[in-house]
Amino acid sequence: MNGPFPETDPLDREIAVLLAHDARTSFRQIASAVGVTEGTVRTRVRRLQAAGLLRLEPIIDIASCDDDSAQAPARHMAFITVRCHAGQMDQVRAALLAMAEVQALYDANAAHRLVAICLVDSVADVATLTNAVFALDGIRDAESEIVLQTIKYNATIGPIATMEGLAPESG
Amino acid sequence: MPPESRAPDARPTRRNRSGALDAIDRQIIAALREDGRAQSTAIGEALGLSGNLVANRIRAMDAAGTMRVVAVADFRIHGYRMLARIRFQVHGRSPLDVAHDLAARPDVLAVHLTSGRYPVSCLYAFASARDMVKAAHDVSAGIAGVEDVDVELLNTVYRYRPAIGPIARHGPEAP
Repeated sequence: MNGPFPETDPLDREIAVLLAHDARTSFRQIASAVGVTEGTVRTRVRRLQAAGLLRLEPIIDIASCDDDSAQAPARHMAFITVRCHAGQMDQVRAALLAMAEVQALYDANAAHRLVAICLVDSVADVATLTNAVFALDGIRDAESEIVLQTIKYNATIGPIATMEGLAPESG
Repeated sequence: MPPESRAPDARPTRRNRSGALDAIDRQIIAALREDGRAQSTAIGEALGLSGNLVANRIRAMDAAGTMRVVAVADFRIHGYRMLARIRFQVHGRSPLDVAHDLAARPDVLAVHLTSGRYPVSCLYAFASARDMVKAAHDVSAGIAGVEDVDVELLNTVYRYRPAIGPIARHGPEAP
């Protein structure tokens, strides 16, 4: 996570916090709250967006994804942690990124370990997905954890800039 | 919003009871995915809907917690330098209580109870490596019931799509 990224300052942070809950808040309102001009807010937001440090986007509640939707239904979150055989990490990573259920993927502790955060429709699908992951070439072992209950969740902060330039991503 | 400005069609509709999104909602969400700050009138024009309808739908989804347009900020904007997933085995205490203790910590961004070997799993943000070592020590020594701690530093993130999440009951919270 040490890739180059643009410097940010406390004003960037203030603007991000004010936009966090409702990214459609008017820039005029934010400008008056932080004591700068509307143009400054607009420039800052655009700069952060261009740098990949800020995304203004809709998030759908996991329980609101119904079965007849066009997109993949998703009612359950699961973590799948895999350990790869030495030298096979790249191909395992590519295979995991090709799976539509994989919403987030990172490597951990720099030690052949990949963690995939997956969204699936049912508990049975977690088993199916885990089996599919086990079947991939280069996997040493895999462990799945189903999220039973979420105690705290913050959608407004995450590792969003790290993707840029580190791994080309399709879709 | 002052009550007198509430248009009749701004009242909660079917999807608020079922918690599900209908086809119009999904079209609006797709437009917001292109541009989260797109004007309701512009979205309406593109979809052949009135700007008022679009604005009301967005407001209703937000109020029901089914969809929110949020600003997702990189953790570094908030002064953090690293993220770790920390998982806990718990002994002699309910995992839920341990999870609540963790959730009370401001640097803990997310806490889940899971089915795995480690029943409590959290995402922890740190400003420095020293903070991480200190936090790992604090939670194992300072939270009753914590038995075994697995610290996993996020190295390279290849994908991060927060497009769907447990937002209705858990935020998005102020960071």
